[in-house]
Amino acid sequence: MASDDTLPTLKVLLIGPSGAGKSALLTRYCDDEFDPETSAATIGIDFKERFRTLSTSFYRGAHGVLLVYDISTRASFLSMERWFNEAEANTVEGVALYLVGAKLDKADGPDGGREVTTEEGQALAEAHGAKFCEASAKTRENVRLPFVDIVDKIVQTPGLIQNARLGRAAGAVALGTNNGSGGYGAYLPGGCSC
Amino acid sequence: MESLTDTLWDVVICGTGLQQSLLALALSRSDKKVLHIDPNDFYGDAEAAFSLQEVESWVEKVEAGKEGLFRAASVEKPEGDTGLSFPRAYSLALAPQLIHARSTLLSQLVSSRAYRQVEFLAVGSFSIFKPSPDPSQNPTLVRIPSTREDVFSTTAISAKAKRGLMKFLKFVLDYDSTPQTDTWQPHADAPLAEFLLKEFKMDEELQTYIITLTLSLDGKINTRDGLAVIRRHLSSMGMYGPGFAALYPKWGGLSEIAQVSCRASAVGGAVYMLGTGVKMMNDQEDPIVVELTSGDTIKTRKVVRSNEGATDESSINRLVAVVGSSLKSLFESTVEGAPTPAVAIVAFPAGSLSTTAGEASQSPVYLSVHSGDTGECPANQSILYFTTVSEPTSQDLLQRALYSFLAAVAGETVPQCLYKLQYKQLRSSLQSQPNGLIFDFAPPASSLAFDDSTLQSVHDAWKMVLGDDAVEEEYLTFTDREGAMDDDEIYD
Repeated sequence: MASDDTLPTLKVLLIGPSGAGKSALLTRYCDDEFDPETSAATIGIDFKERFRTLSTSFYRGAHGVLLVYDISTRASFLSMERWFNEAEANTVEGVALYLVGAKLDKADGPDGGREVTTEEGQALAEAHGAKFCEASAKTRENVRLPFVDIVDKIVQTPGLIQNARLGRAAGAVALGTNNGSGGYGAYLPGGCSC
Repeated sequence: MESLTDTLWDVVICGTGLQQSLLALALSRSDKKVLHIDPNDFYGDAEAAFSLQEVESWVEKVEAGKEGLFRAASVEKPEGDTGLSFPRAYSLALAPQLIHARSTLLSQLVSSRAYRQVEFLAVGSFSIFKPSPDPSQNPTLVRIPSTREDVFSTTAISAKAKRGLMKFLKFVLDYDSTPQTDTWQPHADAPLAEFLLKEFKMDEELQTYIITLTLSLDGKINTRDGLAVIRRHLSSMGMYGPGFAALYPKWGGLSEIAQVSCRASAVGGAVYMLGTGVKMMNDQEDPIVVELTSGDTIKTRKVVRSNEGATDESSINRLVAVVGSSLKSLFESTVEGAPTPAVAIVAFPAGSLSTTAGEASQSPVYLSVHSGDTGECPANQSILYFTTVSEPTSQDLLQRALYSFLAAVAGETVPQCLYKLQYKQLRSSLQSQPNGLIFDFAPPASSLAFDDSTLQSVHDAWKMVLGDDAVEEEYLTFTDREGAMDDDEIYD
């Protein structure tokens, strides 16, 4: 937390149809773990995704969006156009977009394998000015690439960090006993009862 | 994945205004099956916040008579390059209420852990607009002293007036015990202004200061309510930091709280559908059969919705203006160590404005000025939210208030108005109430500060939905979800 002043905090969202493998990708990237048995939907948000009802507040201050589909499920790829539209409608201009075809390990798998070609993914990404890769949380292949690349893209886009305006304003007020409260000049009275 | 129509829902909540959303939050750790729908394709109902694109489609819907509480909406912007930024750089709040530090809403957001997703900003000074006696001079803004330190240091009032004000501030902090009660109770139903004159010998100017702190829309608040509101204001002062009494949620006020509550509810397993309302409902059966506008027919044990029945004849007029200046002088913190305020309040007392035809204003006009720190506009601009009770000349008066204000804050140049949204919002005296298996929320209040009585109906609805399963101590009191620390929004 001591580095709050020098390192900007970036907000990167992972969105895409349920079951695309967003949580698996994130868990592998952050904790280097993969649990093939965990297939439970990331509750709640999964439903919000199902009915396309993510709130605008979900996108507040996002610098980048990773859009994730499953290369072994055609329907998940076909929904990506709408996911792009939603991300573009709710974020600031210049937001970094990155399309990820997940579950690359299934490409030659026994259950029918790949249903979306690499070229199709590439073409869709290009149409939206997004970068693209295919990855597998199971084999670790390309897991770091989208996260590293999107951060590069964010820091190389002039004005994006200011435009997104994430982060604590000078006037932010801390409620509760927030462990990050030291950094932004807020004042917590000793007798705060909340 | 379970199907909408095969599930027996415990409750269908219709509408995503603050009350319904807080109810959804309150139910988010229960095992109840919650279906939360909204006929609008946005969150927040009458408390929503809009980008400029969304404003346009909302205005169309209001004009088509499809936005129950709202009337006479229109947008005005100059042609060509107006200096406006891109439409999504704005988030205009339909009901920009400030929240006093002592409000139970804040303690419930903390105990329910929802506060981690909301950023709160300080509401700074309260000022009074003063027309210039000499028409060739600009009008001025006078800051209201509202703490003892303020009263000591202000040069705006006489020594005698200071003593009166100090005496009143001391009185009001403990107004609800004896012997203070003997002083005010005989005047309980009389206007607060009258009481201030009789018991504290306050002149009209000091009365105006005090009435402004109550944010009473018609300026005629009675003594009982007025003292309670002033006490809330003064006791909130300094609670979360020096120099401010109220907070404002970044990005559009209550709209953010509604959205964050809905997200918490979704994480708890509730199903969300926007753009879907109730088409028909048979509540003579148990479970209730509901036909949704999406065509699905579902079954539910309870229904919670907003009361869209008759509204009163009374209403308020609002004017929202984007101006091309950061209006820095309004957002200076006046107390050492205070956070930079993002909101400032200005009151135009009755009589301080006149219509184009020369008639003096009958009611106060209130202005809430929001800086770019609110995330509602770019950093070099600000948003002005004007409110007044509706009278035939209200639209004209609000325009006059806008240009008088711009003149009062003008330096070498007068800040430019880049965009205007006007509308009328109906008020209602309907109460929230349970009705068999249905709970009806009253339409949201039009007050300028959040009124905690709203929270009682959320609690009532929660009890009605949970029935015997309601555990009072667990109401909106949750632990953090695993991995849901404040900057890990990815997980939720």
